[in-house]
Amino acid sequence: MKKLTNLAVASAIAVVTAGAAMAEGLNVPNLTYRTGPFAATGIPLMNGQRDYMAMLNARDGGIGGVPIEFNECETGYSTEKGVECYEATKGAAIVTQPWSTGITLQVLPKTNVDQIPILAPGYGFSPMADGRVFQWAFNMPSSYWDGASMILNELGGGDLSSLSGKKIALLHLDHPYGKEPIPFFEAMAEANGFEFLPIPVGLKEMQNQSAQWLQIRRERPDYVIMWGWGAMNAGAISEAVKTRYPMDQFIGVWWSGHDADLATVGEAGTGYRSISWSAPQPDAPVMADIRKLVFDAGDSLAAEDELNSVFYQRGLVISMILAEGIKTAQENFDAAEIDASQLRWGLENINLTDERLAELGMTGMVPPFATSCANHTGHSGGWMLQWDGAQFVPASGHLMPDSETIASLEGPAAAEYAEANAPWPVNEDCEG
Amino acid sequence: MELLNQLFVNPFVDMVAAPDFLLQVLWEGLVSGVLYALIALGFVLIFRSSRIFNFAQGIMVVFAALTLVGLYAMGIPAWISVVLTLGVMLMLAVTIERVVLRPLVGQPDIILFMATIGITLFLIGFGELIFGGENKQMITSELGIPTGAFELNPFGGFLLLEQKDITAVIGAVSLVIGLLLFLNKTRMGRAVRALGDDHQAALSVGISLRTIWVLVWFIAGVIALVTGVVWGARAGVSFALEVIAYKALPVLMLGGLESITGAIIGGLAIGILEKLFEIYWGQPIMGGNTETWFAFVLALIVLLFRPQGLFGEKIIERV
Repeated sequence: MKKLTNLAVASAIAVVTAGAAMAEGLNVPNLTYRTGPFAATGIPLMNGQRDYMAMLNARDGGIGGVPIEFNECETGYSTEKGVECYEATKGAAIVTQPWSTGITLQVLPKTNVDQIPILAPGYGFSPMADGRVFQWAFNMPSSYWDGASMILNELGGGDLSSLSGKKIALLHLDHPYGKEPIPFFEAMAEANGFEFLPIPVGLKEMQNQSAQWLQIRRERPDYVIMWGWGAMNAGAISEAVKTRYPMDQFIGVWWSGHDADLATVGEAGTGYRSISWSAPQPDAPVMADIRKLVFDAGDSLAAEDELNSVFYQRGLVISMILAEGIKTAQENFDAAEIDASQLRWGLENINLTDERLAELGMTGMVPPFATSCANHTGHSGGWMLQWDGAQFVPASGHLMPDSETIASLEGPAAAEYAEANAPWPVNEDCEG
Repeated sequence: MELLNQLFVNPFVDMVAAPDFLLQVLWEGLVSGVLYALIALGFVLIFRSSRIFNFAQGIMVVFAALTLVGLYAMGIPAWISVVLTLGVMLMLAVTIERVVLRPLVGQPDIILFMATIGITLFLIGFGELIFGGENKQMITSELGIPTGAFELNPFGGFLLLEQKDITAVIGAVSLVIGLLLFLNKTRMGRAVRALGDDHQAALSVGISLRTIWVLVWFIAGVIALVTGVVWGARAGVSFALEVIAYKALPVLMLGGLESITGAIIGGLAIGILEKLFEIYWGQPIMGGNTETWFAFVLALIVLLFRPQGLFGEKIIERV
């Protein structure tokens, strides 16, 4: 009987505590994948996100004095589980972080109804940049079409007409994420006279890509661009080494630039490049806080050698972007506890200048960018990182995408999406 | 007309025009096929002895490979890590028999199948708790597996044979021969086969169900370790290796769930045919990625004519 009484009291305390926590904290759930075939690339990113929020809680008591409730819901990168996680976490959430283009596409129509902003930094549907159509979706600081544009600019030496007559293969995961840049590449191929060859990799073939690399051997593309994730990255890089494909003609998007993937081939991968909107800065002041307040305090899930990796530090940047959105909203509405619609305003009024990055101790970790009502991406540009046999090092100055061309494709694609999903609310008042 | 050309003329013209490339395709298909056969063997052995379709075979590959690299990371020499990993797989087999299978003796097959799903979920959670989900490097060179390649020039062309692929083929073939010798020439092996042929008859002559179950689950663990080493050497060790086990399903459909010969021939056939189809028909006509479905379609066609698979036993039940 005594046990039952204790249990009842404990349950009551738990309910009250949970209720209080929900009321007092800023609830920012993260739909993570620390398990399954994509865990290897997901874990360092999610560790970085988690540690940045933990650092803010430890150092500043949260954001604006309100603690951050950073809860994870495990999806295993499954779209079905991701939608379940969205439904399970949306109750008290002021944002959803879907962490998969497939989940983002599924959740996108729901957010108009639930009025919760989607934060998908550097992933999701590229036309989400159009804030007039996608009022609740944000993919700052760069979209996939930005990444594709910067890669083509790099390959063409800044002049896409020089790619005329070349053959460019896109080795991509056969998944909404991997297919996302295809419309952009097709448009660029038609406009600039190069041959575009998409080569899909199925989920079950990620670790055995011999057929795809036999195709590459037969087709002899001038360049191979990789849109890979999870085990696909290491599989592709191993096959590239095996088939002697020149590494300096092999470039990946930012999700195909993971230190651990390249470590599987080490020296043999030297020369491989990855476009990136973030760059690791081991000596950045923010890293000292992370180490002191989170890692050394035993509150981090990361390993010591992970802290300076590209993906871990990108995770820090992602949480910083969210924190900046929250802070912007708090200041504008003069309220520490904000709701989802207020956060939406904050996310579309971020102004991350060089000065602000310096204040945050994150200079050089992400290019400066600003969002607006109409521009939900910010189009920050990025840097080319190159594997030197042991780690990724910067291999370019600040690169920018071809914004004019991208905008000319984003608008019609967003309008087409709205029409296909009619009735779809469009914010006609949004001008800038 | 163009389609007919693409289907019936162009592929063969391409094969004749670049015979070195055809050899490379066949070699890559053979390597994949040997590995599919290896995974399928793990399924067949357990099914033969207990009528259980072991859903956990894929996660056993991950678990064995992670244990090996985890032990090595603790500073234990490579080959001692292999021995210790085999010890862990033996303990796993004993635990599964004692905790999961023994209490379910006599239950319908579907219950035992569901139990293996439970084992899968447990091993995923336990493995991630112990080893983490990050990609790890297989200790290929530490195990003495050569990592270079032979470059040959047949027909004036170019053929690349990776030494670790050759080692994988030799290792897999040796394991299969060893298994066949064990099953056919040893007392325990014959007991496994007897149990597969007739449960009741085998029990009536004193064959211990418990011992045989531990044995076959341990053998499945050994196969999982070899598979994990071979696949892990290609692209690292992570939970993505589990997905590879699903490639064995069409092999089992094609070869038959009870047949060791079926697993071997089915694996080789699927490995080679899916690669040929992908390269000469799938990529030029359908945009590629036909490997995700080709083997299943092939197996379904076979099932239309032989429901028990190419080498499976025809089951006649009185109703």
